[in-house]
Formats: sequence, structure tokens, C-alpha cells
Amino acid sequence: MSLERLRPTSPALPATLLFVVLGVLAALLFGLQIVHDWPSPGDQLGGIILHYSTLPRGTVALLAGAALGLAGALMQRVLRNPIADPSTLGVVSGAQLAMSGALLYAPSLMAVAREGVAFVGGAFALFLVVALSWRRALDPITVVLSGMLISLIAVAFSSTLILANGEYMMSMFIWGGGSLEQQSWAPTTSLAIRLTLAAFVAVLLIRPLELLALDDANARALGLGVTGTRLAVLTLSVFLAASVTAEVGVIGFIGLAAPNLARMAGARGLRQILVVSPIAGALILLLTDGLVRLISLGISETVPTGAATALLGGPLLLWLLPRLGGSLRSTQQSVALATRVASWRLVLPGLLLLVLGVCALFIGKNGEGWAIATGQLFDLVAPWRAPRFIAAASAGAMLAATGVLMQRVTGNAMASPEVLGISSGAGVGFAAVLVFWPAASRVAELGGAAAGSVIAILLVIAISARHRFAAERFLLSGIAVGSLAGALVTVVMARGGPESMRLLNWLSGSTSRVAPEDAMMALAAAALFIAPLPLLARWLQVLPLGLPFAQSVGLKRSLAASILVLIAALLSAASTLFVGPLSFVGLMAPHMARLAGFARPIPQLAGAVLIGASLMVLADWMARTLAFPYQLPIGLVAAMVGGPYLIWLLNRR
Amino acid sequence: MCAGSLALPLASARAETGGIAIVDWALLETALALGLKPLAAVELVLFKKIVAEPPLPDGIIDLGLRGAINFELLATLQPSLIYGSNYSAWANDTLRRMAPVREFSIYLRGQAPYEKAVAAMRGMAGDQGLQETAESYIAETDKYLASVGDRLAHQRQRPILIINLGDARHFRAFGVDSMFGDVAARLGFTNAWATKTAYSATAPVGLERLADHPDATIAVVGPVPPEAARALPRSALWQAMPAVREGRTVWLPNINPFGGLPAARRFARLLAEGLERAT
Repeated sequence: MSLERLRPTSPALPATLLFVVLGVLAALLFGLQIVHDWPSPGDQLGGIILHYSTLPRGTVALLAGAALGLAGALMQRVLRNPIADPSTLGVVSGAQLAMSGALLYAPSLMAVAREGVAFVGGAFALFLVVALSWRRALDPITVVLSGMLISLIAVAFSSTLILANGEYMMSMFIWGGGSLEQQSWAPTTSLAIRLTLAAFVAVLLIRPLELLALDDANARALGLGVTGTRLAVLTLSVFLAASVTAEVGVIGFIGLAAPNLARMAGARGLRQILVVSPIAGALILLLTDGLVRLISLGISETVPTGAATALLGGPLLLWLLPRLGGSLRSTQQSVALATRVASWRLVLPGLLLLVLGVCALFIGKNGEGWAIATGQLFDLVAPWRAPRFIAAASAGAMLAATGVLMQRVTGNAMASPEVLGISSGAGVGFAAVLVFWPAASRVAELGGAAAGSVIAILLVIAISARHRFAAERFLLSGIAVGSLAGALVTVVMARGGPESMRLLNWLSGSTSRVAPEDAMMALAAAALFIAPLPLLARWLQVLPLGLPFAQSVGLKRSLAASILVLIAALLSAASTLFVGPLSFVGLMAPHMARLAGFARPIPQLAGAVLIGASLMVLADWMARTLAFPYQLPIGLVAAMVGGPYLIWLLNRR
Repeated sequence: MCAGSLALPLASARAETGGIAIVDWALLETALALGLKPLAAVELVLFKKIVAEPPLPDGIIDLGLRGAINFELLATLQPSLIYGSNYSAWANDTLRRMAPVREFSIYLRGQAPYEKAVAAMRGMAGDQGLQETAESYIAETDKYLASVGDRLAHQRQRPILIINLGDARHFRAFGVDSMFGDVAARLGFTNAWATKTAYSATAPVGLERLADHPDATIAVVGPVPPEAARALPRSALWQAMPAVREGRTVWLPNINPFGGLPAARRFARLLAEGLERAT
């Protein structure tokens, strides 16, 4: 039975009931906490704890939840996107990155303008997301994919900062986990003022927002500055999300859950949703925090509340999937075609790879500066540089091939290997090995990562198979599984022990520890999985043209799609195992190949593979030399080099 | 840098010329305490800030982050021996491709580290023919801890809670399997944090949990995040804690929580100074 058919029966009553249950449970748990912390007569300290810790924690949960709920409702409205929220759009990660950076490099700024710093970071992240998806008319899935990408890059950046500055590591881990712990009423006051302010502005924006519901042209005809309104609303939601992040750290997915819950509970129309969403957000966060506290009573090691809400986020997305229905516009897009060029031009990216390879092998730094390795020095460095070069090139090739497959199967220009949830799954597997088996060997760690990625991809395939691999369902299930896995990793990370460091190192991506055997295995995997792809060229040609066309040429779409997805999964898993979760190259290389004029499937694939390999070799070389002897995470370098170019490329007319 | 000049004969892996590389901070401290000058070691920028002593001699080559050792650079230095621990377990196999790796693990879950730090020093000294130096350092340290313990005799009736601040709302406590906890026990203190810790310190816990230990002296080990240093004096919750209210809180400078015997000594010295200043 298809879930699609269930959609029209909107279950308003049970949802309202759910809402009430939610509120009662949240209140009960908070009440329980108060009773637990109620001081015995004469216990002055107990009174102070109740007054300065327990009570403000509850109010902060309510206020932060309400702020996020309002931010989510505003974002969803203005972007016409039911899955937009400050965390899916990268605002929260951007704010966190800005705060980490300020803590390390401008501590005095953090002292006076914590919220301001968070706001600038969040706004910049949102700007990047909008820039990436502007040409796709802010299509909901493209926006969320861009948001995920920007989030990942921001997190990678934060990880680098944490790794490079051990001193305040614990602070940064705490922000990343999102803790509602309180020691005064100051955050409550600050959030209350900000929320009130934002509520006023929101009231002023209701009328323009209602007009926005019409299409842009009509709204303009009514004298509305469409862009200005959108900008104002987005600024307001970033302001709310950044305020919360500044006070309590990363709290994910409340902004996603609250408006959807409000709609399910029967809230109709903008005004109702804007009123009910903050209430829903407040209750969800209070309830989550209550559960977290219930679990941790008497135990020292707690799950941070922010990580707990993020754990709810993944399943929530999955649950929302079949209910989103027509609210997601089709993501089939016509891709801008460049002038086609002859296939012999593939020699050019081939040459590029060759030149970069020679550079990577011979040019490097030593204690005194740049040096070209010859003679005895070459003999010394070659055994270390060669495996890195081979692994980087193989991984780049595999990621690029994954990207081509994903973009062709889903017809979405922002689809990348990350969407498969594989690298996040691998992260969970790796984390599990680190936690439960601290002295594990590298083989065991690789095994854990492999098992994690297999489970993740099986989940994604199982979920999207139910929807016959419809592109948007597939992308969303990937995002959902990815965010669930990401939340699990955050839980481990928030423990702040040595395993957190190892996990951070792995997440930031590195080729430095690749042994010669690993490099050979990566090369073999690349050859094995990429070689059969030319045989499937016809599928790759037909799939992006959409379902009706595929049927008319007698192609069983779901079968073709599932086989291609499986190959993509294998490619992505193999590269993740050897160099860590680096997906940016997989997003970029297919576009670069296409715009270089390699338009048909086989030339695009070949071009992307060569370009992907080159990009990765270049990134690895820069990662190795820029901060010598300290090594930068290769994924971050790739994102820094390629990010601006990608934004330009996607907005090109 | 010419590689040829760096090809050191194996026999000279000693003091001044030292061909040893060290990829673990506790072992680097240990080597410095023995008077060894390693050829190369990891993350020296932060080591200078956090570990502080023994002072780092000039000319040791920095191998990059502990979690991302620059293998290529180390290979060109052609070390004759590499010291690593369970923390560098991920790299040890790779390091073996360039030189033998000696492993000494000081921090293991649930095990007191002091004796392991002693064993690591003895092991390293054995390799380098510095047994006498090691034995006198160990004896001196034991003696020093005993004398500090005596000095603090009147303070020992109170249990001690050794913490590290994450921000103004969170701390982590050092348990019996931490160097700080182990040294405090050797000084004759009872560790107030008796619950389980993982790898010597707990995950961050809320500030209000300090109230569970009303009798304890609180030792706050640096670094203290600037934000916490600013917020705590104004925090009603912090000020209400018995140890704070009654002036039983001592603030210690940066000490490496995953150090060797030098860190143990540094902790004992700074704790004694702090406690004596407080009373």
C-alpha cells in the first residue's frame, strides 16, 4: 500500500491529542525535576540551586524552543519550504563556527558581543545557502541540500579550530552538543527580550508575508517589495536562531518540528501557525530536556539536550516524508548546457592530473621552506607522498563518479555523495568502535566505519524503495539518515574524551595515514566500481529526463535507479573508508566536467573522474604544505578552494 | 635541509644529538625530565602553552598535531626510535615503517596512572642508558610528594574535588584514574569524585553538581575559559557553593591532565602553593 494515498485524510484530532499529551508530559517531567530539586527546610544551597539552576533551565528551554519554533515557521513560510529550519539551512552551524573562531581569535569580542558574533556567522551561512540555490529559484530540496553542505563545511571548519587549539576544547564541545544547563537568569532575560522583540517584528511582517503567499508577480503588483520582505523575514529568523545558539549552543531541528507539528494539529493560515509553532517548539524542547534530565539523574555522563533534539530530527524528517506531498515542487531541472566539445579534449583534464601528480610527488616543504625532492630526499619522501597521491586521486575519482550518478539519478544539481548518508553512517560506525573498543586496531576501525556505511545506505535504499526512488524522496531520506547519524556522532563527541579527538580527526578527512596497501586498495576499488559505468550510459542519459520519458523508452526506472544508487553507494563507501568523509569534490567535479563541455554521460563521467582526482590531489597537496608542519584537513581545503567557484558556477547564466 | 646530513648513526640516539622522536606528550615530558633532547615531537606550539614544564629546549622539530602527525617530515628526519602510547595507537603501525616504535601507555580506563608513568620513565631510561637519572628523578618525586603531603597534613581532613571548567555552566571532574586524582591520593587526600570516570575525567557535568560535595576543597585546574572567568564571580550559584563561600577554592594554572611524572610534580607543587595561599 502506498503511503501517498493516506495523505488526504489529515488526522487533525489525534494530532491535537498528541499536542496535549506533549504538553502534559513536558510539564510533568519539569514538575518532577522541581520536586526532585526541592530543598528540605533550611537547605539554603538547595534553594539556590532550585532558583538559579533548575527554574532558569526550564524557562530557557521554553524560550529557546519558542524562538526556534518561530524562526522555523518564518523560514518555512518565506522559502515556501516545509523542511527549512535554522539547522537544515546551516544557520546554527554557521553561528557556532563564528563563536568558536571568536573565542580563539577575538576573546574580547566574545565578551561583549556574543549574540552579534553568532548572528554574523548564521547570516553568512544563510547567504551562502541562498547563493547556492538562487538559480534554482530556491527550490526546497536544493535549499536544504545546500544548507546541509554549508553545515558540513562549517562543522569541518569548527573541527579544525578545535583540533588546532586544545585549550578551550571543552567549551567548544559543549556548544556543539547544545546544553540547557543554567547558573543564572541572565540567558533567560536575554532570550525573553529578544523573543519579545522578534515577536513584535513578526507581527509587523504578517501582512507582507500573507501577500507573499501569492506568487511574486501578484505580490509586486500589490506594491510589496518582495525581496525586501523576504530579506527582513530571513534576518529575523537568523536573529532568533543566533540568539539561541549564543546562549545555549547548537539545538537542532526544533525549528523543523514545531511548525510541522502546528500544521498537523490543525493550525491553518499564517497567523495561526506563527502563534502555535513557538508553543510547539517550547513544549518539544522542554520535553526533550526533561527526558534528558530524567535519564541522567544520578549519572554523571549526560546526553546534551541539543544532540538529543537532533536525534529526534532524523526520524521526524523520515516521518514527514510521505506527508509532504505536493508541497515540494518537482526537482527535475533542465541543466544549463555548455557548448559540447569533442571527447578528445578529455586529454586536458588528464594532463592536469598528471602535472598535479608530479608536483605532489616532487614539490613539498621541509623545515626550511619549499623544496624539490631529488636524490636521497626523494627516496625518503616518496614512500609517504606516493600513497597519499594514489589514495587522493582514487578517492577523488570515486567521489566524482558518485556525484555524476547521484546528479543524474535525482536530476538535482546539488546532489552529492553526502546525500547517501554514507559518510555519516561511517562516522557512527567509527565512533562506536572508539567508544566500545578503545584499543581497537586500524582494521577494526575501518571495519566499524564500513559496517556503519552499509547500514546507512541500506536504510536510505529501504526508505526510498518504498517511494520507487522518486528523486526528492530519495534525497530527503538520505538527508534524514545523514542527520540522524550526525546526531549520534555529536553525542559521542560531546563526551569530550580522547575518542572525541580521534573522531574529529577522522571527520576532518585525511590522506596522511594511508599506507601503501590502503592506496592500492583504493585504486583497485576505483577501477572496479568505475569501469562498469560506461555500460550503463543509456540509463544515465535517460534518467534525468524524468519518469514519463524513461517509460516511453521502455526503461524500468526504479530498477535502473536502484542499481545506479547501489554502485554510487559502493563508490562513496570505498572513498570514505580511505580518506574520511569528504564529499565536496563529488558535488563539484560533475559540474565542472559538464561546463567544460562534456555533456553526454560517458564523456561527463570521464571528465568528472579526471577533474575529481585532480581536485583531490591539489587539495591534498595544499593541505600538506600550507601550514607546514601542521597539516590541514583535506576536506576543508577542497571546500575552501572549490566553494566560491561552485557558487559562481551554479549561478552562471 | 639536506637529507644526507640528517642520516644519523643509530648509536648516537642519545641526549644532545638525539635521534628519537616522540609522538605523545606524557612521554615528551618524561624524556625532557630525563635530560633527553628529542629530535622531533608533536604539537609543540600548544605544549608550550599547556604543559609549561619542563621547559622545551630550542631546536626540537615540530611534527604537527598529535592527531595528524606529519609522517613525511618525520621520515626525512630518519629517527632511530619513536616513542608512542595508546593515544598514538592509530599511528604506531605507520610509524613502524620508519623506525621501531616503543609504546608506553600511562592512561588506561579505570587504572591509576602514577605507577605507569614511573614505569614509562624507567622503560625509556633503560633504552637510553639513563637508569640512574630515572631512579633519582623517581625517588625525588616520591620524596617530594611525601613532603608536600606532610605540609598539607592539616588540609587533608577534607576531601578534594579536582575540576576543570568547560564554560560558566559546566565542569569536568578528575577521578581516581587521572594523574591529578592519583597524586591527590598520594598526598593523602580523599578524592571527592568517587563515581566512574572515563579516561581520567568525566564528560562535562552541570555546575550545580558541585553541591553534591559540600565538604570538599575544590581545585580548579587551568586553562579557565575567559567567559567562565568573567561570569563565575557574578554567578549566584557559584558563589553559593560551600567551597566557594568558605574560601576553599583554589585556582591552579595550566597543567597537562595527560602528563607524566613532571606533570604529577607540577600538580603537587601548584596545589600545595594554592592551598597554602588560601589558608
